[in-house]
Amino acid sequence: MRSRRLVALAGYLLLLFSLAAAIRPSELARRARLAIRDSGKDLARRRLDGSSAAFDRRYFFFLESVRRRLPPGTAGVAVLAPSPTVAHHNLTLYAFAPRPALVAPSRIPEGWFLAVYGAGAPDGWRPVASVAGGAVFERAR
Amino acid sequence: MTGLFPSLAAVAGILLAAGALGFFAAGALVPAGRPGERVAWGFLLGLYLLAGFVPMTLAAGGRPGWLAFAAAAILVLAASRAARRPAGPEAPPRGVERGRAGVVLVFRAAVAGGVLLYLLRALTEPMWAVDFLAIWGWKGKVIFGARGLPPWTWTTPELAFTHPEYPVGLPLLDAGIAFLLGRWDDHALALLYPAIQVATLLLLVCWLERRGVRRSVALASAAALALFEPLYRAFTTGMAEVPLALLLLAIGVSLVDAVEGDPGANRRLALAALGAAALKNEGLFVAGAAALVALLWRGRPLRRRAGAALAAILPALAAAATQRLRTGPLPLRDFRAGFLLEPGFGGRMALGLRTIATEVLLPAWPLLAALVLLAAAGRRTADARGLLALAALPLFAYAMLPAFCVWGPDWLVRTAFARTSAALAPLLAAALALRLSPVFGRSGESTGSAAGPAA
Repeated sequence: MRSRRLVALAGYLLLLFSLAAAIRPSELARRARLAIRDSGKDLARRRLDGSSAAFDRRYFFFLESVRRRLPPGTAGVAVLAPSPTVAHHNLTLYAFAPRPALVAPSRIPEGWFLAVYGAGAPDGWRPVASVAGGAVFERAR
Repeated sequence: MTGLFPSLAAVAGILLAAGALGFFAAGALVPAGRPGERVAWGFLLGLYLLAGFVPMTLAAGGRPGWLAFAAAAILVLAASRAARRPAGPEAPPRGVERGRAGVVLVFRAAVAGGVLLYLLRALTEPMWAVDFLAIWGWKGKVIFGARGLPPWTWTTPELAFTHPEYPVGLPLLDAGIAFLLGRWDDHALALLYPAIQVATLLLLVCWLERRGVRRSVALASAAALALFEPLYRAFTTGMAEVPLALLLLAIGVSLVDAVEGDPGANRRLALAALGAAALKNEGLFVAGAAALVALLWRGRPLRRRAGAALAAILPALAAAATQRLRTGPLPLRDFRAGFLLEPGFGGRMALGLRTIATEVLLPAWPLLAALVLLAAAGRRTADARGLLALAALPLFAYAMLPAFCVWGPDWLVRTAFARTSAALAPLLAAALALRLSPVFGRSGESTGSAAGPAA
């Protein structure tokens, strides 16, 4: 029984060692600093400072600017962005929810707005608002 | 009220209110004299209430809010009062460990440390994991904003990456909290996850102690689990693994109780299996695995084993059928069974297993070596064997599934294997503690049932 206890003790110490190795004080300090610094900010600003926008913070700023310019009852939003990645798709979808939103769709449904990240004005669309990092368009009649 | 702390306080209040209601309702599940287990099961019931009142209210044409929540709570409390309260032993004897107070204190501090670490990781920023934005959180936000999931969410081909075929238990839970909060706050909502971690640890420790495991061993097990970063980390916050880990533990411990004939165990097993199947597709698989383990359990009456098997599988099938009725049949986007009949299937299988070995197991060798040592040091018990079998079946499935992945076996291993397998950690922690219990001496008689422990 004593030998089993010793093996168990060795196993538990190794387990704790391997779990403790995942604790990085610098990461925890960074988290604490970020949490304290951002705790008084509004939710969108906290997301802007966070990991989901880290791939392109200006893009999230653009999405949030577009979202705030959309009229109530907007059917959906299509977004054009240069070289969109999975992160662009996910963040766009989430930012506009519960409205449907698609990045670079093959076809833009009737009644949707088009948001263009960066410069450029697509044919057949007229600008309705200029936002940070781009512009919002509606279909020209 | 735009800052984090007021919202956190409000979410904490919602979770406490739901947990308190669940605690009262859990009287129909947990025999008297088990306050810790009743708190854990009550919290789980409270989460069911938070998720369940949303579709109930929407189906009735109402607006989800405190009034609807109160109505649902009254229904649940009335049902729990009507259900016969399971008779159980009077206040069970607790294990006494004279001279071990220091050890217990150290492990309690380690558990608290693990919870605080996860609190910091989970609450640093609004939830951000890829699957939170694209799947779980997005659906919750749509349910909250659109008062339901409109058909375009599962009929738009470009949105296939949101996995419309997944169950919606977690999005409903997120939306339920948001309805009571009055807004979608994906930062304060993250508090749900450390709360689930605490409920998991509480269930683990209290169940092990009831099974006669010494408090120091139970707490040591909980401390290791609390510090288990692959499960309790920022990335998993907002995804299904943390709640699934609680539900898998709940299935496991209630399965052990059920085959022993513990009062209320079949109800607890049914509840946990229902939640697992409503949470993730593999929840149905685990419920099936639990039914199989129950049927193959040796030394217990067939009637009792069959009762446990039915308690596990029927609610899970009901949850899966509800999902199918909601959306109609939807394909599993990431998998194709046809690979099995293709000539390259062996190569796919080998690639998946090789990627698991080289990219998951090899870097984690100290952890795996520790688990091997702990398992070797312990002694065989029927309960531990049952829990290990229940953990082994989904683990085997997770190892086989990459061979069927349309994006490539190595892709699935890299993106999902470690994360999904981590949800089995509480089951493993319980099984190892049971194996080590005879080595360190039992703290007293098991009060799990009249039959006692099946060691």
